[in-house]
Amino acid sequence: MNQATKGVPIVYTIRGCDACVKLLRKWEAEGIAFEERRVELSQAVLDEARKYGDMVPIVVWPDGRVEQGFEGNLGCFI
Amino acid sequence: MLQATTVVTTERFEKGLSYADFLAQATVNRDKFEKYYEDSALTTEDLSFFKKAAAVPDGPSKILALAEAWCGDVYRELPTVVRIAEATGVDLRIFLRDENPDIMDEFLSNDGKARAIPVFVFYTSETRYITHFTERSAGAHAELAAIMDQVRTDLNLPPGVTFATVAEARKQEFLRAVIARILPRFPEWRKQSIREMRTLLSAALKLPNKG
Repeated sequence: MNQATKGVPIVYTIRGCDACVKLLRKWEAEGIAFEERRVELSQAVLDEARKYGDMVPIVVWPDGRVEQGFEGNLGCFI
Repeated sequence: MLQATTVVTTERFEKGLSYADFLAQATVNRDKFEKYYEDSALTTEDLSFFKKAAAVPDGPSKILALAEAWCGDVYRELPTVVRIAEATGVDLRIFLRDENPDIMDEFLSNDGKARAIPVFVFYTSETRYITHFTERSAGAHAELAAIMDQVRTDLNLPPGVTFATVAEARKQEFLRAVIARILPRFPEWRKQSIREMRTLLSAALKLPNKG
């Protein structure tokens, strides 16, 4: 199911990336619905993430906006 | 050594992955590792220096690398150390950062707050610590700070503003501008990493820094 049909943000993450983990914890604590795509588990997902940016976390919002990093954390180069 | 005692014993060291095993277990970025391996940043003079260092009594016989295949800094820098190990006969063993937190804890950066990788630790044949390199060179860190300054000026942002403090509406613009200026610097950063490893070894071994 893609983001348009689900209407939730997609977040590209690496679980070893501190900024990614902070984002996930915050969203989970706030009950924000999202779809996580872990780039460290699949070259195909990593290649998909690179279409949007160079640094995870990358959030693709349902309206098409793309954000990298999280709050004050730059994240990790992919 | 950063601590009086270390978990990196000779027996533990030997449990590390070879580069071939590291690549075999990697789920991502094998193409990047191959690219940076083929496109070596080492000069003949660099390799001559590392060979001399390895030949010094109590010089490096082992290199421990803390790494993860998903990390951009790792695929940029690890192939250089693979080349050094191959040229010198030094035994390179790779430990996955997230499976070896006790080793990582000995080499934290940013005042013990960051688990930055790659880390390359040079040891003697008896696994005595010589020196180590983390993530990127001091020159690259300084350049990153200068890039941030330039971006602040270009975007008319207040002096000293950071990604953490920049206004939310400007945050992504700021980050994209910084990334766009960093990426072209990677080839030079690789060379700076080599220079820094040479400087570290030269100082630790009291060896002239020349090939």
